[in-house]
Amino acid sequence: MSDPRQAWFARMMESGLENSIFAPSDVLAHATPDVLATNLPPELLSKILAASLAAGAMTPERVLETLTPEVLAAHVPHDVLWACIAAAAARAGVTGTRSS
Amino acid sequence: MNIKAFFVATLTSALDLGIATPDDVLRHATADVLSIHLPRPLWARLLTAALGAPRLDAQLIIDTVGVPNLCEHIPSSIIWACVAEIGQRALSGAPAQPISRQAAATPPSGVKSIPLAAPPPEVKREAPPPEPKREPLPDIKREAPARVPAAPAAAAAPAPKLSDGLADVAAALEADERELSPSGRARSNTGPRFRQAGTGIGRLAAINTRRPQAPAPAPEEPARAAASSAARPARRGAGEVEGAYELESEVKEDWKSSLAVEDEQLVDWQGGEETQTAAEEYRKR
Repeated sequence: MSDPRQAWFARMMESGLENSIFAPSDVLAHATPDVLATNLPPELLSKILAASLAAGAMTPERVLETLTPEVLAAHVPHDVLWACIAAAAARAGVTGTRSS
Repeated sequence: MNIKAFFVATLTSALDLGIATPDDVLRHATADVLSIHLPRPLWARLLTAALGAPRLDAQLIIDTVGVPNLCEHIPSSIIWACVAEIGQRALSGAPAQPISRQAAATPPSGVKSIPLAAPPPEVKREAPPPEPKREPLPDIKREAPARVPAAPAAAAAPAPKLSDGLADVAAALEADERELSPSGRARSNTGPRFRQAGTGIGRLAAINTRRPQAPAPAPEEPARAAASSAARPARRGAGEVEGAYELESEVKEDWKSSLAVEDEQLVDWQGGEETQTAAEEYRKR
């Protein structure tokens, strides 16, 4: 991953999921099917579908098993990912005005 | 939800990747903010580092306090404001930062002149010349491969017999090496030889043809011990002697096993007549 910004977004997505700042469903609320269909390459779309077919259901968790943070950062527009992060930060109550 | 861990990961990676610089962090975690929220021990650490550093900058502060401590003690809203600014800048496509964190860690030219690593190269340059003198090492190994494989001067020394003590061999090697090596030459550290001299194993090997000797009590002790051993089998003095023997045996287990001492010879040491006779002999000596 040569682009530092891409690496940073991947790390933020990874940490956000690890620390339950947001859930896979929150990610897919921003990285909607339209966004994924528009931005993911065919092989990734095929992989998601195949994995879901094999499991019998397509869940956000299963989708994110294929769409790892690195893959998300590589293919999903960063403003979409940032919107996901910012929304999670707002939910966590850390986006208020600065207290000195 | 662990928002602080998320902030730590986010800020750390941003700094590592050059997305953000320490200055970006200190724009939000200002001195006022730090003074209010940073615990005193961290302030003490920061002051110590700042006083000891040739110059104080944001890099030093971040490195000293640490991102985890900042995220732990600074209010999350402030940290988020910092992250949000970094994120917005990253999204805008503006050049993240001219220099990465690693580059920022490089001291400026004025500070660079601290001669931390100057002496070692000179020492290394002096070391190679003695190498050619070690060439006869294979011959030495061919002549005396059994006991002294690492000593270069063993070629000149006669091959020691197995019955010779290791201490004698070591002494001979020392003498020969003193003759062969020039005064200023650096000598390689031959570990086994010094270990023998330090532990006394060589001295013990030299006397291993003799009968094993347990430490005898003081001259007047055997008679008293023989008289009272039946009544008091667990005397304090006897225990000490036995303890001393055990202590010694721990150090010299290698030779002890080679002597094949029977248990009977050791058990009745103080009570037996043979022992008393031996003690008498020792007293004469």
